[in-house]
Amino acid sequence: MLNALAPGLSRDAVEELSRQKGEPEWMRQFRLHAWDVYEKTPAPLGRRGDLGTLKTLANFKFQQLRPFVPGQEGALPAAIQQSLEEALVNERSGLIVQHNSSVVHAELSEELKEQGVILTDLDSAVREHPELVQKYFMTECVPAGSSKYTALHAALWSGGFFLYVPDGVEIEAPILAQVWLDASGAAAFSHALIIAGAQSSVRFVEEYTSGVEGAGPTLLSDAIEVYAGGEAQVEFSTLQDLGQNVWNITSKNAIYDKDSSVTFVMAELGSKVSLASIGAGLQGNGSAGELVGVFFTDHDQRYAINSLSDHIGLSTNAETMVKGVLTDQSRVEFDGMIRVRPNAQQTASFLSAHGLLLSKQARAELIPGLEIAANEVSASHGATTGQIDEEQLFYLMVRGIPRPEAERIIVQGFFEPVLQRIPLENLRARLRRSIVRRMSGGYETEADSWIDAQERWEIEGVDEGAVHLDGNPQDEEEIKLTEY
Amino acid sequence: MGSELVIKNLHANIEGKPILRGVDLVVRQGEVHALMGPNGSGKSTLANVIMGNPKYEVTDGEIWFKGENILEYTPDRRARMRLFLAFQYPMSIPGVSVANFLRRSLEAVREGNRPLEEGENPSGRMTRRKTIPPGEFRKLLQEKMRLLKVDNSFINRSINDGFSGGERKRAEILQMALLEPEIALMDETDSGLDIDALRIISDSVNAVKGPNLGILLITHYQRILNYITPDFVHVMYNGRIVRSGGKELAQELEEKGYEWLRPEGEETEVTADA
Repeated sequence: MLNALAPGLSRDAVEELSRQKGEPEWMRQFRLHAWDVYEKTPAPLGRRGDLGTLKTLANFKFQQLRPFVPGQEGALPAAIQQSLEEALVNERSGLIVQHNSSVVHAELSEELKEQGVILTDLDSAVREHPELVQKYFMTECVPAGSSKYTALHAALWSGGFFLYVPDGVEIEAPILAQVWLDASGAAAFSHALIIAGAQSSVRFVEEYTSGVEGAGPTLLSDAIEVYAGGEAQVEFSTLQDLGQNVWNITSKNAIYDKDSSVTFVMAELGSKVSLASIGAGLQGNGSAGELVGVFFTDHDQRYAINSLSDHIGLSTNAETMVKGVLTDQSRVEFDGMIRVRPNAQQTASFLSAHGLLLSKQARAELIPGLEIAANEVSASHGATTGQIDEEQLFYLMVRGIPRPEAERIIVQGFFEPVLQRIPLENLRARLRRSIVRRMSGGYETEADSWIDAQERWEIEGVDEGAVHLDGNPQDEEEIKLTEY
Repeated sequence: MGSELVIKNLHANIEGKPILRGVDLVVRQGEVHALMGPNGSGKSTLANVIMGNPKYEVTDGEIWFKGENILEYTPDRRARMRLFLAFQYPMSIPGVSVANFLRRSLEAVREGNRPLEEGENPSGRMTRRKTIPPGEFRKLLQEKMRLLKVDNSFINRSINDGFSGGERKRAEILQMALLEPEIALMDETDSGLDIDALRIISDSVNAVKGPNLGILLITHYQRILNYITPDFVHVMYNGRIVRSGGKELAQELEEKGYEWLRPEGEETEVTADA
């Protein structure tokens, strides 16, 4: 059993954490080096005139954080058990549970173990698979030195897990990871290191939730690194539903080998202040990245989200689609960049970001960017921010629907296309429920009927003798015939 | 006695500019009224004001429906009293399926005349509404679609999203059939339709028409009146009804145009047909 560390982030705390964990010298050195980078690197402060989220984060009380608060060993806490029962995944191939700073549970189906799949907490991976961890951990995908906050993460990482999928292994049911925080004042670090071999496939779902009491500063620092081998297919969905007294810094990135594809689904609902960086390093020729992002903010939540589609190889594709709704005084900044490197010919890249403001105090700044250094490129981007259309509202109200409900229907309609892009059915359902719950016009049970109503209906017998809405298609056919 | 929509001396502005300048009109259940007039005479404005479009400001006059002055009622409450507006330009609402929307709408209209949002529940949540079981709704919708000979493919589409002009107009009539209003305002339902589409729309309206439905049919062409026979014809000019008569008035307008009805001493105002 590891001991909790006293509040304060320091080089000594890094040393103490590494000593307690009994880590090999290379990891100790890795941490200390990262700590030096953290100390030397200034915090990002954003641009002049932005919404100030990065500045707010820079002023966070990092020094009051407890860098290591171990989770409860043995039986899983009741809150986690309940969360598992309501989890997004009904059938799963594996499970990882992190409680505060440490992983308290890891399981993987016997069948997958026999096929050489490894799913373990990151500490075990450091001991048992040092060559893989040394090669892949915060080196190329989310490099330790890429920002002040990634350096902090590299220096003080504590929880997290490691997944290795050998070449050709296709994992059907998703693997579920749950991160649960309930220690006020803790800095919890979670990390996902995924190595998917050539022609392998895996789906991963990670949920971040909390039940932190008290007003002390609490931080979840999180990184996701995905290495997709040749023709590998990886799908990684995250649902961040932390309490609004937790701050969150997350970096997600994938490195693509040839013809691989990685889909990130990022649903951001919780936390007080959140900085999310999400990237696609499309190095392999013919690789394809997809990012589907959904957010809904209220109260005084603040998000800064950056995405990067980095086209390096030949003939790569990327699609980024972000949609979010803001209410109350919440603020969201989104910077979406498409970068096409000089040799990345035949790139196709698309980015869209749409924000819907439900209150006059909410603010959104969605900025798409393009840097193109190749000439055979098809790229487009677009971003819009606006309020609900009064004419649409009037249309719904004239059909008897009260204003709050009409607003909710429009919000649902706004989200629906992006929800349709989420492969995981339970995540879609969870998001619909959250959206309804956050809208004042919602009935308690409305979400369920929304789902019903979105089913495609088959009405039998109507086709008989029916004409199309715009005239009878048979007529058109006859007209064509006479034309010839 | 059937429901009555009574409009008395109605004056309304848009952005400070007077559009309606004293409209008097009574429409009863079971009657078909045609409201004709040149572009910009205020016909569409009248329909919007009757439904409570917040874009318009009522400066004088009254609107009574079923014995209640509805001027202060929200548009949704007016609809729940079974007033209906078939829009000239129906809005598209991406991502919301027609089936989903129609069910919500029917549930709301069946709640009848009471405020649903104000002050009933301090939490801001609305009181639980009686839902219509999907099976029952499906059956009802199916019945109406058969009646209007509407293809079933459109109910899975988003409301009016990507619909052609004709499809939008037909979708409006389907909504009217489903919601069973007592008085329906049909705003230029014939505009933008070719002759075949006009025939289909008119057949649909005739299928829905009956002793329980009063219609105010707004048009500036006499054409649709060849298919839907009005009991009364009114002519609007510069925000007032300047002439009322039977269906023969429409024929007269077709031959002589509107200019001869212009009240003396008034300039023709050319405004956008809002």
